[in-house]
Amino acid sequence: MARPDRRDTDQLRALTSVLGQLSRADGSAHFASGDTSVVCGVYGPVEAKLFDERLDRAHVEVKLRPDVGTPGTKDKWLEAAVRQTFERHILGHLHPRTLVQVSVQVRQDAGSLDACAINAAMLALVDAGVPLATMVAAATCAVLEDGRVVADPVAEEVEGARSVHTFAFAEGRPAEPVYVDSRGTFDMPEYDACYGVCAAAVGRVLAFMRSAIESKVTRESQVAGA
Amino acid sequence: MSQSEKSGQITFAMQTFERIHPVEFQRRFLTQNTRLSGREFSQFRALHIVKGSIGTAQGSATVRMGNTIMVCGIKAEVCEPDVKRPKHGYLTTNVELSPMCSARFRPGPPSEEAQVASEHIHRLITPSVDLTSLCIEENKVVWALSADIVCIKYDGNVLDAAIVALVAALENLKLPEVKVDPATGVVEAGAEGGVQLGIVRRLFPATFALVDDNYLVADADDAEEQMTSASLLVVLDDQGQMVNVWKRGAGIISRDTIAKCVAAAATRKSEIEHALST
Repeated sequence: MARPDRRDTDQLRALTSVLGQLSRADGSAHFASGDTSVVCGVYGPVEAKLFDERLDRAHVEVKLRPDVGTPGTKDKWLEAAVRQTFERHILGHLHPRTLVQVSVQVRQDAGSLDACAINAAMLALVDAGVPLATMVAAATCAVLEDGRVVADPVAEEVEGARSVHTFAFAEGRPAEPVYVDSRGTFDMPEYDACYGVCAAAVGRVLAFMRSAIESKVTRESQVAGA
Repeated sequence: MSQSEKSGQITFAMQTFERIHPVEFQRRFLTQNTRLSGREFSQFRALHIVKGSIGTAQGSATVRMGNTIMVCGIKAEVCEPDVKRPKHGYLTTNVELSPMCSARFRPGPPSEEAQVASEHIHRLITPSVDLTSLCIEENKVVWALSADIVCIKYDGNVLDAAIVALVAALENLKLPEVKVDPATGVVEAGAEGGVQLGIVRRLFPATFALVDDNYLVADADDAEEQMTSASLLVVLDDQGQMVNVWKRGAGIISRDTIAKCVAAAATRKSEIEHALST
């Protein structure tokens, strides 16, 4: 049975990104996976509020706004997930007593939003030049009713799925997931299969991110040279 | 001159050491492969569950896990169903972590931790109950359950305690028989304790925490949680199938370790099952 958008089971939707789109932010990224798209702006390091100030490291704050309506607990949950995925990969000790603010704006949610938000935040942090220990990317896959494992499911597939799995990995460390959220009803073999699919997908997302950053840097150096 | 001053070393009472060097204090135990509480790394705290602890709620339960105490109370109200789902009732969950349970929490709107816990529990419990069993009359009236999970005493791992408290309270839930007058549309409640909620699956949580980047402990208490760099929640259902694997934080918990934790969660499941049945 074909998927709603006729992709192969392990095929991701088309990835697109624009770096530095927002002129007032220190760094920004627009990341889209098919129709799911997220814009992220990073401000920092900036002065921290007294309450948030950490003596030995930068404080990382993530604000997430949904596409429709005001932020609710659902958005709070994703906000925490995004923050916890990055918090320790930001070399905060290089900027003690400051704040790194990450604003994530959902533009459209057509499935696999969690992974898209993490990826957008990652690219924006790189674009802002915030020192990072490594690159992190996320991918989602789902086990459908008939047992097929599909990568990067669309909303329609998530709706009828038996379980949905989101994994985030740091570059070159496929055996140590940074973030795992598997939900539904599943057993160990299914979990393992999803792990494999997501690890492979994350590899492709990381390669995409790298080329996006490279092309931006190349373009900038050409402008500077001219 | 005391013995300690003679040798040029400063010694503290144990309690003083714990207060001024909490991390170092915990490390002294962890490096010896033991924990302050005397538990083994893989050992969970004993569970005590009292069902029906609140008389005025339609369903309730109190869960004690060491020094963590959670109370769950479920109130039922009748209301109109959603137009899109005319047969489905509502179940909302709310976790409350007030300053009463720990000095870590400030008064005011719910903290991020409380909101994330509420949302996560809601996501887990919604597919676990049969919301159509809350239907009184299709398209007209359904039950709206609101489950308030309140922390009385905070000593780490509230998520496990909250999930168990909610499951126990749902098992305890008894809704009154209800009649709808077709002429006037007035809803009248009959005798208490007629209808029970359809529970599709019960949830058995087990949380593991990576303490001090090195030691994976089961069911961390408050002091251990302060040093936690990653935590892993594994939730199983009645058949022992996995319902949720949730790893947060950047600490390293490898793929193999997660598999081991899933196996350990099965042992914890039988402990919770036993506590629920008594």
